[in-house]
Amino acid sequence: MQAAYVARRFGVFLLIVWLAGTLNFFLPRLSGQDPVLTKLLQQAALGGYVQGGIEEMTREYQQRFGLDKPLWHQYVTYLEGVARLDFNYSIANYPRTVRELIADALPWTVGLLGTATLLSFGLGTFLGALLAWPRAPRWMAWLMPPLWALHAIPFFLLGLILTYLLAFRLPLLPIFGGYSAGATAAFSWSFFWDVFQHALLPALSIILVSTGGWALGMRGMMVTTTGEDYILFAEAKGLKAPTVFLRYCVRNAVLPQVTALALALGQILSGAVLVEVIFGYPGIGTLLYQAIRESDHFVIQGIVFTVVVALGFTTFVLDVIYPWLDPRISYRRA
Amino acid sequence: MSHDPVPAHPGRREVIKAGVAAGVSALMPWQSARADLREVARNRTMILVWSGSREGRWVDWDLWNPYSIGSNHQNGPNLIYEPLAYYSAFGDKTYMWLAESYQFSADFKRLTIKTQSGISWSDGQPFSAEDVAYTLNTLRDLGPKVRWGVDAQQAVEKATATDPNTVVVDFKISAPRFFFFMAYKYDIGVYIVPKHIFEGQDWTSFKHFDPAKKWPVTTGPWQVADASPQQKIFDRRSSWWAADRKLAPLPAVERNIWLPFAGEQQAAQALITNQLDAGTGMQPASFPTVFRQNPKVITYTGGKSPYGYMDWWPISLYVNNERALFDDKDVRWALSYYIDRQQLIDVGYLGASTASKLPMPPYPPLMPYFEAVKDLLAKYDTNEFAPKKADALLAAKGFKKGGGTWTDVEGKPLKVDIIGFGAAGPAMGPVLVEMLKRRGVESSMTLPPDFDNRFQKGQFDGAIYGHGGSINEPYATMRLYQSASIAVPGAHQANFSRWKNAEYDKLVDEAYRAAPDDTKKLTDIWRRAMEIWLPELPDIQLVQNYHRIPWNTTYWKHWPTEQDPYVNGAHWHLTFAMVLWNLQPA
Repeated sequence: MQAAYVARRFGVFLLIVWLAGTLNFFLPRLSGQDPVLTKLLQQAALGGYVQGGIEEMTREYQQRFGLDKPLWHQYVTYLEGVARLDFNYSIANYPRTVRELIADALPWTVGLLGTATLLSFGLGTFLGALLAWPRAPRWMAWLMPPLWALHAIPFFLLGLILTYLLAFRLPLLPIFGGYSAGATAAFSWSFFWDVFQHALLPALSIILVSTGGWALGMRGMMVTTTGEDYILFAEAKGLKAPTVFLRYCVRNAVLPQVTALALALGQILSGAVLVEVIFGYPGIGTLLYQAIRESDHFVIQGIVFTVVVALGFTTFVLDVIYPWLDPRISYRRA
Repeated sequence: MSHDPVPAHPGRREVIKAGVAAGVSALMPWQSARADLREVARNRTMILVWSGSREGRWVDWDLWNPYSIGSNHQNGPNLIYEPLAYYSAFGDKTYMWLAESYQFSADFKRLTIKTQSGISWSDGQPFSAEDVAYTLNTLRDLGPKVRWGVDAQQAVEKATATDPNTVVVDFKISAPRFFFFMAYKYDIGVYIVPKHIFEGQDWTSFKHFDPAKKWPVTTGPWQVADASPQQKIFDRRSSWWAADRKLAPLPAVERNIWLPFAGEQQAAQALITNQLDAGTGMQPASFPTVFRQNPKVITYTGGKSPYGYMDWWPISLYVNNERALFDDKDVRWALSYYIDRQQLIDVGYLGASTASKLPMPPYPPLMPYFEAVKDLLAKYDTNEFAPKKADALLAAKGFKKGGGTWTDVEGKPLKVDIIGFGAAGPAMGPVLVEMLKRRGVESSMTLPPDFDNRFQKGQFDGAIYGHGGSINEPYATMRLYQSASIAVPGAHQANFSRWKNAEYDKLVDEAYRAAPDDTKKLTDIWRRAMEIWLPELPDIQLVQNYHRIPWNTTYWKHWPTEQDPYVNGAHWHLTFAMVLWNLQPA
């Protein structure tokens, strides 16, 4: 690997992060809303009471959060903060910090969406490859229509249907939540099992919907690949069918899928908002949704920045490891 | 011995292995490991669902200092911190609690509170008058930095513990309602905090949560046993001072679990399958389905409409009195006459509501004040549906109706753009818009995400919103329309409708100075105020707000009902502790 190549890609990564981070700073402020006032008013409205001194409280906390400073000053403070991964306090949940909130939510999202994305990728890619493989069993052709149909259904709708069927009518799985009421988080198999059971329905709704997409993509690539001369050559050499299938067809067809997977893994940090809402999953998607509703600029900045870094980083890693996956690609400039 | 060549860079397998290891290490969805909770049987556990406006998680799971602005007493602190007194508007009854008695001076500038003796905080330290004085003085000092600070700062000169069971509160101004302000009712009340824990802490950022130290420390019967984004668990302590004094029984509920709200459908399914004992507010349309599938589910009104109890928050169509056209009382009355409240209730709430005549609920202690203006309400019927009267009022003002739309003398259409939020906006907004359109008033309805900002700043023509005002005497509601006060210097006015009337303002100040229990004097002031308010109609009365809370009687009975209305039953209100000590195993 050439160090210059990695350095160049890393530079691009930093540039992307800075640009996106800058947009991330200015965009929430375009709404013109006062986040402190919004927080206080929403809380008052929720309680139905008319609390005295909201204007004074607003001024007090604007000062505390640095929102009374000129915009350029806030921007510089923001850049200094993100360089240390310090996103300030959550305006709506003070004195909780943005980092604490993200740390609470991230494992749930990564656990649920990460697993679901990897499973649907694996399953969809394998099924897609088989669907285009001439020697695959005939019955496999029947799999495609339901996969297409499921792919057209939004996550949340399928989630509602699955909840009704598998959690309510046939009470096989929990209706909502990350783990059972009264259970306590512990490093034990019973707790693992509890979390797993609670993750099944949301994961299933994501997997059933996503698998079709992965399968479609893989099938398309496989159709092209199976027509290549090197496949014909491999078959002419008398290689076994599984070898031709896995090492010649799948190996070459899967490369665009890997690119898509890397991007999908980067995007999971933004969560699947509606799935999280429906299943009461305390992930990052609902956190972002709530932050937008509450105009909590700092939380929005923290989450979006994390997503940007994750996406930029996965793209960077992909750039770096691609030559390993596909030896035809070189680090050298053309 | 073979010598494998050392690879110049990691191979594909190594890269994949590293990726898998990184992924697995990320799958650790817990914040803290707590496996030391004792087992409690389901039939001794009460499980409810709630999370304010935040679906799916407790964002504030480690915030147990109710004064920090990110904390919300509705999310659990209401259960653990005890007040000086509770007040039930349904029973019109004050329950003296940490306070044994109180006495105002004749000019209401001094309040002497006798606190109960022999109470201990949960860490064993004695509770005393010092804790009360410390709470009040700190609120005064912190002012706008904490909840209730401004209210305390406006009134309190100083609070002094003259002996372990006596607090003397000196006021800057006459403050006849200060004890009532401190008592728990609905969402208003002062939480008394332990001085030995809070002293030296920054109240704005102190969380008061440390399971190892058994924090939060309170005087109540509930200990926070576990808290995470997923749930808050409160375990009953083995003893409680109030039970020892026979003020209340030791709750039969041994464990109370609060789950974050995940949606109405999920809550309904969990109620039907007995996974929940109490839901959060539900839409009227959901109740018949729930009752059919689980007959053990009840509401305040049993299985009958309106499936709940009347909240303290009657809902109005606020019109911005500072904007042209709506600054004319005849236009406001015309709009009111165009509204068919019964149809609004039938369509918006499937019949499960009632019309609101005045901006306060007809609770028992308020009934004398309704009686006092009965004749005025007959003359100025705020619920009257009379399109012809409305037409006549507009015509008299020079409005003309052409092409089905009213236009003013300059040819501008009479137009009301309405904003709304929460449940009331979507329920009533579209119906209201259609009613007004049919009578020639151009109208539209939106649910803007920045509703609160716009409403507070007066950036609206019309807005659907409620009133958190009076529950036992009329001052608090009267104050909602006051534009300036002399009696309370620096007071912050709500005045959402932006209506101004100097005479009315004086009457509100007069009501402020009156003793809250001087019904005769207050009735007189109230009537004079309504003689101004009703002809002016600053906002247009619509419907009562109902808390439609489903309760499951599979495991627990003796929820508050219309047959036994001991308190309003909302678990997010400050009086929820009263419900818990009343519940009995089914």
